[in-house]
Order: sequence, then structure tokens, then C-alpha cells
Amino acid sequence: MPQGMVHIENLVKRYGDLTALNHLDLDIREGEIFGLLGPNGSGKTTAISCLLSLLKYDRGQVEIFGEEMKPDSYKIKEQIGIVLQNIAVFEELTVQENIDYFCGLYIRDKKRRKELVEEAIEFTGLEDFRKMHPKKLSGGLLRRLNIACGIAHKPRLIIMDEPTVAVDPQSRNKILEGIQTLNRQGSTIIYTSHYMEEVEQICTRIAIMDHGRVIAQGTKEELKQMIKTGETITVEAIALEEKNLQDIRTLDHVFDVQYEKQVLIVRCTDAKHNLIRLLNYLQSQDISFGRVFSELPTLNDVFLEITGKQLRD
Amino acid sequence: MTVFKGYMRIMKKNTGLILLYLGIFFGVTMALQAAAGKETYTSYESEKIKIGVVDKDNGPLTEGLVKWLENTHHVTMLEDSREKLQEELFYRNVEYIVVIPENFYESCMVNGESISVTKVPGSYSAYYVDQQLENCLNTMRTYLEAGFSKEEAAAAILDEKRGEVTMLNTDGNGSTPGWLYYFRYMPYLFLAVLCYVMGYVLMAFKKNDIPERMQASAVSARRQSLEGLLAMFVMGGGLWGIGMAGAILMYGKTFPGSENFGYYVLNTLVMMAVALSLSYLIGLFVKNSNMLSGIANILSLGMCFLCGVFVPMNVMDRNVLKVSQFLPVYWYETVNETLGSYSHLTGEAAASVWKGIGLEAMFAIAFVCMILVVTRYQRQK
Repeated sequence: MPQGMVHIENLVKRYGDLTALNHLDLDIREGEIFGLLGPNGSGKTTAISCLLSLLKYDRGQVEIFGEEMKPDSYKIKEQIGIVLQNIAVFEELTVQENIDYFCGLYIRDKKRRKELVEEAIEFTGLEDFRKMHPKKLSGGLLRRLNIACGIAHKPRLIIMDEPTVAVDPQSRNKILEGIQTLNRQGSTIIYTSHYMEEVEQICTRIAIMDHGRVIAQGTKEELKQMIKTGETITVEAIALEEKNLQDIRTLDHVFDVQYEKQVLIVRCTDAKHNLIRLLNYLQSQDISFGRVFSELPTLNDVFLEITGKQLRD
Repeated sequence: MTVFKGYMRIMKKNTGLILLYLGIFFGVTMALQAAAGKETYTSYESEKIKIGVVDKDNGPLTEGLVKWLENTHHVTMLEDSREKLQEELFYRNVEYIVVIPENFYESCMVNGESISVTKVPGSYSAYYVDQQLENCLNTMRTYLEAGFSKEEAAAAILDEKRGEVTMLNTDGNGSTPGWLYYFRYMPYLFLAVLCYVMGYVLMAFKKNDIPERMQASAVSARRQSLEGLLAMFVMGGGLWGIGMAGAILMYGKTFPGSENFGYYVLNTLVMMAVALSLSYLIGLFVKNSNMLSGIANILSLGMCFLCGVFVPMNVMDRNVLKVSQFLPVYWYETVNETLGSYSHLTGEAAASVWKGIGLEAMFAIAFVCMILVVTRYQRQK
């Protein structure tokens, strides 16, 4: 099987006794938006740092574009754009000067750079703020500037490490749309986040990380198929007795029932008519209830079933 | 040259501060220059002081002596009253009182006794009058021993010709060239401006994830360092150039035409290297602008106060100067003072100048070594 654009094999990184990356394997194909999902401290940023040779690792191999990635692999670095977790722009320079500076680290031709800077400003919607200094920008605009500085040179591979942290929903949507546009324009994107909704929304393939290793990998559909949960039904404001709970547990395809503070959560395997069966039972017992929700499995359910804990724990 | 341009752009944000320091530097230098200029001796004139004389002898010799004193100073004849004499001295009507004893010839000329004088305590002009009076009496004795009569001896001392004083050179060895003061303050300009500006620029390049972004870029770490160094040298060179141009503008052709011009160029260049390396070293440690401002002020002002920039070395405490020897500015100032004292360097003075410049260079090398060690440690960390 041919290797992908980015190939990470058996990567180990230790900080003293702490193993940040534990035999990590990843294969990212050209044209993907590849999501690295995991709770804080799961090793996503360390993986990115090792991938970019910003950190020395103890063991393993990293290949990008089919070549070994080393600190002095400048030919490879020329084709990579990075958007780091913390804002990495100069407070002393204006928006335009910042983008021009970071673009200049890749593009030497002044005329070409000018065009690219303009495109990046337009792409991130910073036209009205080009003469402003970063201190005067809002959190969302700052994040957009951070992205513009990373993508202005039109890289083949873009690595984004939690680019939407502390961003308002409007800016977040704009950023996510922008990432999809970049992907459509031909860039392969590695996107790390602990927000499962974002990853689910934009990523074509996802690796879920915990304790420095990949615990599951695939498309979101593939990941969801890996778990037992097919549907989660929530019923609010309901008064149940133990006998009722036992009856619900015996309904077809139900494998988990939780009842707390008058809220009933029923997990079923992937089958049809789960909700109708439950509602019929409640009606037959003359049990009144409030709002009812039926949800398909999320990546949080995947994480929960595999690790036994919530993604946001 | 993106990194170089980035450094220069961020430096440009400090233009106001640089101009402020330059204004302070030129202002202080010119003010001190003007003050020092008043003390420069361009002519010589002997000064007369007020002398009171009590003549108890009233002989021909003492008359001659009084006339001699009248030719040299302002003489007031006083009566022989202890209270009156004390009063005259107390109110400074006279600064010096000569009491000529009875039998002046026997006691002072024959027996060689001293003449009785009373003077204002601590007066250095009285010290000169002591010498003049002693010379006069010795001359008188010489004439008498040579067979002159008392009248002839008295007339002879009045005919005595006085040596004429001619000011040969007001800018030669032993005098102070005007630019001594200018170059004395230059380390402050270098240290204050470079510590602040370089610290500011280096701090900007260390903020948040900028080092990671730079490290992940297509410009090699070596090239980034070289472009950063080039920007620093341009900044240092520019400041040095302004300093030298200022000296040439202020002192005209006299300064570049002086024999020590080359030494001044070398001394300031080495001092610039010291300031650059020190400012870079500071830039590696500072975390925020408050810290930078504090460190830059403590270092520049502290070093300048301790090493004779603001207070001339010759009035500083010896123990302080012993400590100052461990600082580079001390050696710069030593060289500067030597260059100011000699318009033509003797062998020994030249050796002292080279020793000072050599030690300054050693400090610069030591700072560079510390930079390399700290940078390596920080990268490993």
C-alpha cells in the first residue's frame, strides 16, 4: 500500500517519566482534511511539534512528501504552512506587515509576495484591518491573522493546531469555512482540536488520540460503526419506578439505560424504530413525560465507549 | 533578507526613543562642554591680593621691601595692634599680614630668621605670597652679602626684572581637548540605546509561538541568525556613525586632524562591540518591557556612574575604581582620559591605550561566549 503525504511510524516522545507519544502511527493522504481529535494533554501538539521537527523525538520515523523530515529539511518546509495554537504574530507590526513578513520566509519574489499577501488578507477578511496593529484586533480577528500568516504562501500541506481556541462562534464558522476552501484549493490539512463538533464538521478522516497514541482512526462514519451505540434517546421530566426501568432494559436493541434526576437516557444499537418502541411502552404504562430527543452517535460516544471517559473530561 | 528587514522594521518602532537619547546625549555633552570651556586657560595674568603690613623697623631695607610688596600686591599699612590686625583679617580687608620686626637687618638678614606673617587659613594665594616673600628676602640677602649697602640692596630688589609668561599652546600636551567630554559620555549613549532597542527587538522575536513559527519556516536557522546579527551591526554601526559625525560637526577639522583620531575611532568601535554583545545577552533573558526597561537603566546608568562617565575618574573614590576595573566602561574611560591628556602619545601612554582597548575587546569576547552558551542552553531546553 503506498504511503501517504505524511507518514508517521512508531513515534515515541518522552519527557522524563511521562510518555507524551506512545508508538504513534499516522498516515495522512494528499487532499485530506485530517483531524487529530483528543482531550487536552492527549499528545496532539507534541505530535505536531515532532512532525515539524520542532521537537526531538526518542524513537520512530517521520516522512513528509516521501522524504524523511529533519530540522534542516528546508525543501519540505517550503511547502508547509503552520497555524500554531498560540497567536504567533509581531505586536509591533501591522496586520499587512505581519503577513508580509511570514510570507517572506517562504516567498522571496517581492511582486509575487505582494499578490499572495493581498490574497491572504482577502481570504481571511482582514481588508479593513490591514493597517491595524494586533493589539487592537478582537480575539477572532487575531486568530484570522494567525491563519493568514500561516497560509499566505499557499502551502501544499497546512498544519493547524487548535486554531479556533477562544474564538466566538461567528469567527469560528468563518475559520472552518476557510479551511474547507483551502482544502478545495488543493491543500492537504492536518487539523488538531478537542472540539469534536468541528472535527466532525470539516474532517474527511479522523484519528482519535489519548495518552499519546491513536485509539481509533477512520472516517467519521467508520468510527461510529466501531461502537455499539446506534442511537441515544433522552426523555426529560419523567417519573419512573424500578419496574419500568427493568421493562425498558428488555426492549429490543436497548443495551444501556440510565435514569437520574427525572431524565432517562436509553442507548440502543443501530436499528430502526427504537424511539417508537420506547414511546409505545411509556404510553401503554400511562407514563407522562416532557421533551424527547433522539441523537445519532457522536465522536464523543466513540471516545466514551473506547476509553470510558468523556472527551471533555 | 526577510529576517533582516523584520529586525529593522521593529527597530524603526523605537525611532522616537533613539532620538530622545541622542538629544539627551548631545544636550548634556554641549552643556558640559560649555561649562568646561570656561575653565580653559587661554591667557596668563598674575593676580594681586590685599596685604597688610606692620613696619616696626622703618629702615631703608624695610622701605624697599614695602615698595616691592606694593609693586606686586595691594598693600595697606596697619598699626601694630593685635586686635586691629585680627579684625582686618576677620573681615577680609586683608588676606595676608606681614609684620616686619625691629632690627630687621640683624634678625632677618644677618641671622636668617623668618619674617612673621599671618594669613587666612587654607588660602592657596597666601601660599604663593609666602614663596614670593621668601624669594625677595633671599635676593635681598644675596645683594647685602655681595657688598651692597642697605639702600642699594633695597633699590636692587625693586629693579629686579620679572619673568614674562607666554602661553605657547592651549591645546597641547597637558591641556584638555574639547572632545574629551564628548567621548566621555559616548558609552552611555551606546549602552542605553542598544540595551533598550536590541532588548526590545529580541523580545519581539521570542514572544508566544514566534520562535516555533520561525523554526518551522523555510529560512535556515543559520541564515536567520546571520540576518539578525547583520541588523544588529547595522544598528550599532549607525549609532556609532552618528556619534562620530556629531564629533566632527562639533569640533570641525581639528578632531579628525588630531593625531589621536584613529585611537578614538578604535576605542569607540570596540566599546560599540561591547555594548552590542551586552545588549544581545540581556535580550536573551528579558521577558517583558518593564523588566527590559529596569535592566537597561540599571546597567547603563550603573556602569556609567561607576566607571567615570558622569563623574570624572580623578575625583572618584579609589575603592570604587577598583571595583570598576571589572567593567568594560572603566577601560574605555581610561583610554579616553589618556587620549585627552596627550596630543601625541608617548610609548608608555600608547601601551596604556592598547591595554585598555584590548581589555574592552576581551569583555566583548566574553559576552559573545556567554551568548553562545545561553543560546545553546535555551535551545536544548
